[in-house]
Amino acid sequence: MRLLVIIPAFNEQVALKSLLEELRAVPALDGVELETVVVDDGSADLTAEVAKAGQARVLRLCRNVGIGGAVQSGIRLAHREGFDAAVQLDGDGQHPPSEIAKLVEHAKGSIAPDIVVGTRYRGQGKDNFRSTLLRRIGSWWLRTVLRLITRVRVSDPTSGYRLYGKRALRLFGDTYPYDFPEPESLAIARARGLTIAEVPVQMRERQGGTTSITGFSPIYYMFKVTIAVVLTYVRALLGKKRKDSDAANS
Amino acid sequence: MQQTVENYWMFGAVCLVIALVLLRLLFRERITLQGSMSFLSFLVFLGLMAVFPETTGRIAKKLGFTLMSNFFFCAAIAALAILHLRALVTLSRVHVRSIVLTQELAILHEKIDRLETSEARRSSNTPASSSLA
Repeated sequence: MRLLVIIPAFNEQVALKSLLEELRAVPALDGVELETVVVDDGSADLTAEVAKAGQARVLRLCRNVGIGGAVQSGIRLAHREGFDAAVQLDGDGQHPPSEIAKLVEHAKGSIAPDIVVGTRYRGQGKDNFRSTLLRRIGSWWLRTVLRLITRVRVSDPTSGYRLYGKRALRLFGDTYPYDFPEPESLAIARARGLTIAEVPVQMRERQGGTTSITGFSPIYYMFKVTIAVVLTYVRALLGKKRKDSDAANS
Repeated sequence: MQQTVENYWMFGAVCLVIALVLLRLLFRERITLQGSMSFLSFLVFLGLMAVFPETTGRIAKKLGFTLMSNFFFCAAIAALAILHLRALVTLSRVHVRSIVLTQELAILHEKIDRLETSEARRSSNTPASSSLA
């Protein structure tokens, strides 16, 4: 299995160095050939240089396109170069690389889901990392919206610690939301018939940099993502109806 | 009605001034003709409303407007809303394309970097292997 670790990073020179060191120290996974790409999302600091020094491949975006655009760059690369799967790992160090094995093991199981989401709210993960109250409320709201509208049942819809299988790489290489992409991407995946699974993982506080979700942005985040999920679902329904009528006509 | 109607020449003049500014921008290639065609069309339409107020008045009356000024403002606001929506569609399309281009550029750049590195490695290895031979 060829696996690409995608690390989107914006001004993460501090956290990235230790993250790449940790990644290199991860014991080799059985039957997994691992490569790392850091997507430098138009950083003003030495993120790209730190990534190169850390023996990672570097995609240097000439301007800041946001987390969704950065992740999609890595996904496009993985799809184009024929990787079997890709793991998204935040550049701020919130996602310990040692947990990749859990995602991979789940993806290699008998069911082999298209997307494996690492959750911090289940199993051993919930004891380790406790996010802010506002974040937990937001997560609950998005969980409810996703469950009611798209029937996706995940406990941590905002988690960026994920594994994408081949079908997900193909889908998200073409279409991936640009801002606050995590919950919406799950709705897109479900609408296109992809399977989603969840696995408890450990997460920790960010190791450097600053969060982009501050001030009133959590409210905007919830509002935007709710609309996006509804739109995605309606679009998928309309697309399905169109397909059905095309099939009936032919 | 006739008295009110004569005042709308001012409205036509404003449309003309905006059209001239638009043409100037077109000549200086600050905007494209393709992108500004709808704007020009609306200006012509609104200008014609001001130049032929009697016809406009009849249309306004048929549409249920008691004051022609209301009809003018309604038409202008509707035109601006449509133009704004059109601009929004164009802007969204450009935004998505610019992101895709940025991604493609980064992927190509990385590929070139890798090729250059492997080429440099190969060329640095060649003299060593030939001297060994």
